[in-house]
Formats: sequence, C-alpha cells, structure tokens
Amino acid sequence: MPANPLQPFFKQRGWRPFPFQKETWKAYAGGKSGLLHAPTGQGKTLAVWLGPVAEALKERPDGCSVVWLTPLRALAQDTLRSLREPLEVLAPQLQVEARTGDTTSAVRARLRKRLPFGLVTTPESLSLMLTHDDTREKLAGLRAVIVDEWHELLGTKRGVQTELCLARLRAWFPELRVWGLSATLGNLDEARDVLLGSAAPGAVTVSADLKKEIRIDTLIPKEIDRFPWSGHLGTRLAPQVVRELEKANSTLLFTNTRSQTELWFQELLSLRPDWQEVIAMHHGSLDRAEREKVEQGLREGRLRCVVCTSSLDLGVDFSPVDQVLQVGSPKGIARLLQRAGRSGHQPGKVSRVLGVPTHAMELVEFAAARDAALARHIEARRPLLKPLDVLVQHLVTCAIGEPFQPDAMRQEIQLTHAYRDLTDTEWEWSLGFISSGGRALAAYPRYQKARLENGRFTVDDKRLIQQHRMSIGTISADAHVSVRFASGQTLGTVEEGFISRLKPGNLLIFAGRKLELVRFHQRIATVRPAKRDAKGNVAIWGGAKMPLSTELAHATAARLRGEGPPSAEMKAVAPILEIQRRWSAVPDDRILLVEHTRSRNDEHLFVYPLAGRLVHEGLGALMAYRLRLNQGVAITQNDYGFCLTARRGLHLSEQIIRLNLSPDNLLEDVIACMNTAELARRQFHQVARVAGLILQQLPGRQQRGQRELQASSRLLFEVLERYDPDNLLLLQSQREILEKQLEYSRLRESLLDLQQRPIRLIETDHLTPMAFPLWAEQFFATMPGGGDAASQFEQMLQELQTAAAS
Amino acid sequence: MILEHFNQTLELIPGKAVLLADRTLVVGDLHLGKATAFQAKGLAIPEGDSSADLNRLGTICEQVRASRIVINGDLFHSPAGLSTEIERLLETWISTIGLPVELVLGNHDQKLARLPSWLTAVTSVEHAGVHLVHDPADAPDDVPVVAAHWHPVAKIADGKRTSLRLPCFLLRRNVLVLPSFGSFTGGAIVDREEGDRMFVAPGDRVIEVPVKLLR
Repeated sequence: MPANPLQPFFKQRGWRPFPFQKETWKAYAGGKSGLLHAPTGQGKTLAVWLGPVAEALKERPDGCSVVWLTPLRALAQDTLRSLREPLEVLAPQLQVEARTGDTTSAVRARLRKRLPFGLVTTPESLSLMLTHDDTREKLAGLRAVIVDEWHELLGTKRGVQTELCLARLRAWFPELRVWGLSATLGNLDEARDVLLGSAAPGAVTVSADLKKEIRIDTLIPKEIDRFPWSGHLGTRLAPQVVRELEKANSTLLFTNTRSQTELWFQELLSLRPDWQEVIAMHHGSLDRAEREKVEQGLREGRLRCVVCTSSLDLGVDFSPVDQVLQVGSPKGIARLLQRAGRSGHQPGKVSRVLGVPTHAMELVEFAAARDAALARHIEARRPLLKPLDVLVQHLVTCAIGEPFQPDAMRQEIQLTHAYRDLTDTEWEWSLGFISSGGRALAAYPRYQKARLENGRFTVDDKRLIQQHRMSIGTISADAHVSVRFASGQTLGTVEEGFISRLKPGNLLIFAGRKLELVRFHQRIATVRPAKRDAKGNVAIWGGAKMPLSTELAHATAARLRGEGPPSAEMKAVAPILEIQRRWSAVPDDRILLVEHTRSRNDEHLFVYPLAGRLVHEGLGALMAYRLRLNQGVAITQNDYGFCLTARRGLHLSEQIIRLNLSPDNLLEDVIACMNTAELARRQFHQVARVAGLILQQLPGRQQRGQRELQASSRLLFEVLERYDPDNLLLLQSQREILEKQLEYSRLRESLLDLQQRPIRLIETDHLTPMAFPLWAEQFFATMPGGGDAASQFEQMLQELQTAAAS
Repeated sequence: MILEHFNQTLELIPGKAVLLADRTLVVGDLHLGKATAFQAKGLAIPEGDSSADLNRLGTICEQVRASRIVINGDLFHSPAGLSTEIERLLETWISTIGLPVELVLGNHDQKLARLPSWLTAVTSVEHAGVHLVHDPADAPDDVPVVAAHWHPVAKIADGKRTSLRLPCFLLRRNVLVLPSFGSFTGGAIVDREEGDRMFVAPGDRVIEVPVKLLR
C-alpha cells in the first residue's frame, strides 16, 4: 500500500490521512493522471505530493522526478516550504528547489548543472527551459508534473502556455502523469480535460469534499438609502467595520478594485489613527518587498487588518485569519467562497465571511451569493481556444530547444485542448509566421527566424534566441510603469494608461499615500509626497470593474422574485423594492422590464436584462445603433440594465424593442457600433508582444541598438492591416477584444434568451430606485466616438463654435 | 492652407508636406526601410511602406506642380534598412520623378556608413528665403525655418468623450516643424509651449487646432 511508507510523517504530526488523500495516492500509484478538487489548506498539497514521494522511497530515483508548476512566482517560496516539510521526516536525501524569475543567479547556475528531485517553477520558466537543448536529457527521469491552482491558469493565455508545455513533455515521456489542483469550479471535468489534453485515458477527478461549513453574513446598514445608486453608501459603513475589526485578532478586508483598497485603507486609518502600525494594505501593484513584509506580518500575527484585493486570494499556507470581510459585491460565487476560505482554514472549522455592501442592491447580491454558494452553483471558467500568438511563441521556443519536424509537431499540438481544432490554414500560417513572416511572402524580404533544415524547423541565430527568451515571460503582463520617489525608493507599479492620463503636478493616491506626479519618462513615474494642503482633482487608480457573473445574476434574479429563505438583507432592502414595485415592477430574468420616462429635456429608456455590466454595455450600444440614435444619445449601464437618453425617439412599442434586441446580424452590428477597430488596435499590443513583434526590454534600461527598433503596437497594427491584411494576429485581436471587452458569447446568449422573455413596458412618472443609478451614471459616462478622425474633429470644432456663439 | 511666416509664404499641404514660394516641396522623416530593419532583427513587420510612401510623395509633387524636392532629414531609417532593394527603389523613383531632389541630413541618415552616390546631401539649405534643417535645435532664431525630427502629434480632446491623436505641423516662434511623412513612423505628443500653433489634416484640408481643444 502506498500509504505505508508515508506513515512516519503522519505519525510524527499526529495526523491521519484524509480519504481524498489516500484516493489520490492510489490513483497516482496506479499510473493515473487527474485533477484534485480541494479547498485551500495543506491537505491538498500532501495529497498530490506524497504519491511521487512514496514512489521515490521505493525506487530511489536519480535526477528530477517531479515538476511543480505554480501560477504565481510569489507562491514559490511558500510552496517550497510545504513540500520540504514531509521530506525532512520521510526522505531527507530528496531535494526540492524553486526556479522562477526571482531565483538568484547562483541557484540558477546550480540548477543548470543538475536538477533536484522536485522542481518548483512557473509556466514561463518551464517554457524557458524548453529553449535549452539539454532539457530533455535533464528531465529524463521525470515522472509527474503537478499544476497548482489550475483554476487560476484556466481560461488565460498562461494556461494555454501550460497546455503546450505539457504536450511537449508528454511527447518526450509518454508515461508522464499530470495532476492538477483546483478550487471549486462549475466545470471541473472540463478543467481536467483541458489540463490533460486528449492523451490521458482513465484520468480521474478526486474531490475533497470536507463538508466545509461556510457562513455568509452581511453588515446591515442602520438606515437604508431610498435610492441605491452605486457607491452611495461608499465607505459610510466604515465605523461599523471598525467595530467588527475590534472583535477579532486578525481580519482580511477584501475589496474588488485597487482604488477601493486605497480608499478603505485611508478611511480606516482616519477613524483609528492608533492602528497605524497594525493595519496594512496588499495589492498586486505594490512593490514585492512591501507585499512580503505584509505577508510576513500576517504570518506572525502582528497585523490586525490587511486591506487587500485578489492579490491575497491565492496562497499556500497563509496563516488563517479570524475573519474575512468583503467590501462590495463579490460579483461571483467562486470568488466569495475562495475568500471565505481564508478564515477557518483548518479542516472542520467554519469559514465565515461578512459582506459590507457599498450600495443597497448589494444587499440582494450578498443574499443571492449565499443561496448559490449553499446550492453549490459555482461559475465555470471557460478555456481559451486557439490563441495563435501563444502558438507561434511556443513553436519558436521548441525550434530553439530542438529542431522539430512539422507533422509530428502538429500532432503534438493538436493533442492539447486549446488547439485540437487547429485548421490547415492556421497551422500553415503559424509555420509561415515563424519562418518567412507571413503568407504575403514578398512583404518580408529580410525576415527569417526559424529555418527549415532537413525537414526540421530550427533557430540558431544567437541574438534571436536571446531576444526570444526575453519575450517568453511576457504573456498577460500588461505594460506597467514603475512608481518611485526621486530617491529611487520604489512604491510599486501601475498600468501605463493610468499614468499617461496624468500631467506633472497632478495628484494621485497610490500605495496609501497622496502623491504628486513629478515626471513620467521611460516607463518610470517619479512622484513626491503631495503637500498637505494640495488641492485639485485626485486621480485614484482603479482596477477594472468586474461584471456580475451569470450564476450570481441568476441567483439575484431569484431573490428579486421573492424566492429563498427569509434573510436580514432582503428585509433591509424591502422598503426600496416596495417603491420599485409600486412605481414600476421589480426586474427579473424571466421577463424583460423596460421603463420609459421623460425628464425636462430628455427621454430615457431603461432596460433591465440582468445580464452583467459588460453585456449591458454591448446591448446599449447595439440598440442605440440599430435605432440610428448615434448622434446625441447617452448610454449608461450597470449590472442590472442599461439606459438610453436622448432628446427624442425613445418612445417605442414592445414590438420595436424586441426587433432591436434581435440576435440577427449581431456580429456585424457590434463591429459597426462598438468601435471595435479602435479597441482591437489597443488589444493588439498584447498579441504583438506574445507573438514576438515587439522587442522586450527592461524598464529604464534601453539598449542603444534597440532604439531604432521601437514602434508602437498601434503603428504595427496599421502597417499589418495595410500590407498583410490576412495576418491572423489581426483577426485574433479582434476576437479577443470581442470576448474580453464585450463578453460576446454571453451577449449572444443574452439576446437569444431575451427573445423568449415577455416584455413588460411601463411608463413611469419618476425615476425608479432601479433607474436612478443608471440615470446618475450619465454624468460620468464616456462613449467611444463614432466616425473617422476627420468627422470627429469636425464635430468638435462645430460644438466649439456653437458654444462660442451662444 | 497658406501661412504667412516671417514675411515668407508657406503652403501647408494635407499630405504632410510644405510648399515654399519657389515651389520647393519640403517633407521630412520618411524613414525608408524601417520595416526591413525590423525584419533583419527577427521582427515580422511587413514591408510595403517604402514604395507606397514614395508614390504618395510623387502624387503630391504632381498635384502642387513642385519644382524641387527637399527631404528634410531621416530619409533612411538605419543601416540594416538600407537594402539594395530600397536603394534601387529610390533610384528608379528619382529618375521617373524628373525633379531635383536634395537631402538635408538627419540624425538617422548620419548613422549610415555611406549614402547612395547619386544623392546630394547637405546639413542645411536655404530656398525662397526659408532655412531648412532637420533638427529644430539647430535652427537659427532670426530667419524663418522649416524643420522636422520631432514627429509632432497633437492631442485633441473636447473634454467630454472624444479624444484624437493626429500628426500635426507645429509652429513655434520662427520654426515650423513638419509632421513625419513616412507611414511607418510613430509620433510624440507635443509638449506645448506658450504661443505654439498646431495644424492638422484629418481629412483633405489643413485646419488650425483651436487652443481650447488641445490637451
């Protein structure tokens, strides 16, 4: 029995293996691959790790047996610690090391010579290893690859990169076993199939259902506002939050965006200045040293409260905290469960999360999230299909490592889930792209990356190899700007787009401080502390707003219909819903509620599909376009619906509304109305970087010879559009933008669904509680301009003249 | 658009060129062979600009009945981009255009080990009372100057919802800075100074941008 050799470890700890651990060990010993679904906690690590360890105890392997992939290099050190623990008792001779972007050059050099029994690394570093010609030899003893936090990689380009690397390893070592670890997902079986590709018959899914009890409560505001417009309650619940913080020793306060993190941190400090030392902030853009200090503080129990974003969603053995608070709707059920799991970490203990609503409708969302969590209606994560930028990068990676024969490589690639439907055209284009530039051969006279030699593709130019290795780590990383003081002290990074909107002298809040921008040059933003009395607009740096997930939207609709057990949240929000019912009707996802109302100058049409912000954005633009309202219409949206505002032309019949929400011609209309060309141009930056069209360089360290090889992705996009319009990367950025910015698939499904729903059109005298936030949004709304540059400029000039004349 | 500039008449042409009173057509920053230079370094950027840009320049010459062409610097992008194809392309073009072509050397041109022998190159030149030099930093301050080098771009926004980024002519004191002519060239948003005037041509005519719309 595989459990036997592991006995000493469990005995020493006084533990007994869980059934799911035994099940995983057995499956592993039987030569199977699979997916282990378990909540955070050490149990899952031991389940997948001790299988290979038990095998090693019997067979005394030489070299590297296990590669452990972790999505975040920040997790590598924690992982290392928890993998080493059992080895100290069971097999002190077995080594585990980490190799990531953070690894020191000394360790790196040692690892170049000889790999340890277990190697902890990231998808990028694994991909990088594939560019070395001795990797196959050095991994000759590889038995297993374990992919930690697979749910984090699934649906991302790094996930696809992982799929490709695994395909390579499987082609080298057909006996390889692959195990994934995943938190709860709505599509666990699909997640497993994506990880294992089509080459793993008899794969298993092991579920560690520890019957974890989860409690979701909500902080009920003392007086509910009549109108729940978003952000209205804001930080007003902060005093109540402080009282909750006082009750516990340690708290994680999760927010949805970095700007909220900054706001709440400031607010809590202003209420309790004496907490200066015991309250901290953690988000992905803070400097690594800063983050590590916070993590260490949590482990040592020095901190009373950490205000954080999803940057603390992950983590191997973060010391559990007493309680978790969630500010604002979690927007998804899986996210809420994962965050709840940060408290009561140990098996058997209750995980508890306390919701802090920032506007009244979020009370409903918290009640709905609880319903869905109890019923285990969790979001699915859809895998990405055929990102060609990742494929061409991988092909160059492979060609550098060891020359490949195209047919064999195609077979290998098509064993992955992402590329199983790769067409001849796409494959030939990809090969063409890495060798001669593209199908428009004449357009690339001087280009050559991979050469075909004796029927195999190879890359042997040293400079190109070096350049390619630099580009491997770039998947999914946005263009970031480092924020620092003139003294050189780094505060963290922000998206380039944020800083480029500011001018020197402007104020910003970042890393918990009020700062003034001094200079922005070569991807470094120099700042200084703002003077205390500094006035002017403060730019708060915010992450993207997440849309409500489909699952949570359904659960919310059910609550609005009055389903579900009685709850404090619904009781609190009842007066508002009552007004809504009296003046109009409560929206629901079985009907389509539409309100029409007039204000002094305008008409407003409020439509409530309950399909999430991004879908509503698409629907609003689509409807305005189809009604030919392009000039002089304002469109606003939130998670419940969208609103069109115009001088006239919105008094519509049910029939007209239905006609304008038809799914016919959707793609053409969306492309026409959403300025997708402009959006795709922006998206192209990432695609171009991954595909190797943009040279990578370290911020602030511009090499001289490279200066003349700089071009903006916008320019590249235009050049490709003009001279190589069949380049598939153009098509891909359009596809990506449709899915990412507009959730195109969900938009289409919504339209199909709306066709089935009866429409309830109500003429209202006042703005209803649901309408008010949409109406208020219009003062902040921005709209992509229509038409070409000339007509846009023309219109601006006209407006200016009109304004001057009046 | 006609601009009276220090007692000289300059005609701003929508195709990113300036016509002097003696019908000398001035353009700057063609960066021929830029895509080729990228390709040579393993970046798959399609070629096509160089010949398209030269054809465009030829058309403008015909339209305005130019008597001479001055390339105000950065005709070529880099040594790696000056391939024999590009050289031949340019030579053929010059012989068909049938006009005298002068090159004012730009910083990129100066990196080349050699220039095609049939090309006349100078560091600056004067035509119709206007001093032509590549880098605005080298402009004398008492005569009208047409320079290039900066690839100026105007950021135009109405402060509500529309924002545009358009290549522009920049007039600063006695110097008119040309937008870059080459289609595979980027641009830099102008750091505005008091008194700057900017002209753009999003359509088929040149328009001055009202200061209110500049960002």
